[in-house]
Amino acid sequence: METVVSRPRDIGLQEFRRGVRASLPVMLGFVPFALVLGAQASAKGFSALETSLLTGLNFGGGSEFAAIELWTSPPHLLLIATVTLLVNSRHLLMGAAFASYLRAVSRRRALPALFFMCDESWAMGLADAKARAGEGRPPTLSMGYYSGVSASLYLTWVVFTALGVLLGPILGDVTAYGFDMAFPAVFLVLLRGMWTGLRAAVPWGIALVVAGLVHHVAPGAWHVPAGAVSGVAAAWIWGRP
Amino acid sequence: MTIQVSTLLAILIMASVTYLTRIGGYLLLGDRELSARARIVLDAAPGCVLISVIAPTFASGRPADLMALGLTVLAATRLPLAPTVVIAISAAAVLRRIVM
Repeated sequence: METVVSRPRDIGLQEFRRGVRASLPVMLGFVPFALVLGAQASAKGFSALETSLLTGLNFGGGSEFAAIELWTSPPHLLLIATVTLLVNSRHLLMGAAFASYLRAVSRRRALPALFFMCDESWAMGLADAKARAGEGRPPTLSMGYYSGVSASLYLTWVVFTALGVLLGPILGDVTAYGFDMAFPAVFLVLLRGMWTGLRAAVPWGIALVVAGLVHHVAPGAWHVPAGAVSGVAAAWIWGRP
Repeated sequence: MTIQVSTLLAILIMASVTYLTRIGGYLLLGDRELSARARIVLDAAPGCVLISVIAPTFASGRPADLMALGLTVLAATRLPLAPTVVIAISAAAVLRRIVM
């Protein structure tokens, strides 16, 4: 619905709002995880301020769960750094996939935007860019849409992890209410959007099996890099152009 | 409200490592023309990451969770995002009370 008089700033604002609206189900999925992380952090002696620094500066749930789980007083810095690198190594692949949709964006805008790249904002931004490309527009990330998604998810994460620290002692098991199932639901819908056929999905199956097995034998978030690397390796091996 | 120096240091190290992973792929691979095979790999990567993140739900072995997940998969293949999420949350909440 573009009018002739709409200026770039108005379109940017519309796109920002579209991103915020699209994020609502994911924000709902973030809340229980954020509360649980906050509760676990408070059990490890984190203050609400320290937790906000962690989630606000790092903004990577998997690595934060892993770090809190491995936390000692004083913390083992090399261990924390290594685990963070391993859990977040998938960002390298994600950033590379993102790069081809960021060609039209200057590096000065792209670098701060990448700070907010998490699994969800990345997947949503990419799915949106692909859908727009399908409509005949150039395959470019909508920075307005991405900013709306990023702001929503970032604020939800930082606010509710801090809340989790405060509520931690009185909070029961949030999984009892089923809110944790929001995440698989969101991810499955995103996967449907990426579906291009059974053959292209074989690496997904391998990632699922490996991640499931690793989840049973290793603590923390190791199943994420293990599954992702296995699936990508499978795609490389069978990926004949 | 307190901040311990060792905690702050660990947080700053974590944050730096994480940000480097976020910009690394973009800076190293951003300007290059990729081979067809590299493109296939990068196309497969998003799905591999997403499914690895939710793999613990598939591998939980709890009957109630697996049933709820089955309903969620059915919903996700036919419905938009919002109803799928509502079905997933209510299915998990109800099934966890009536099944083990």
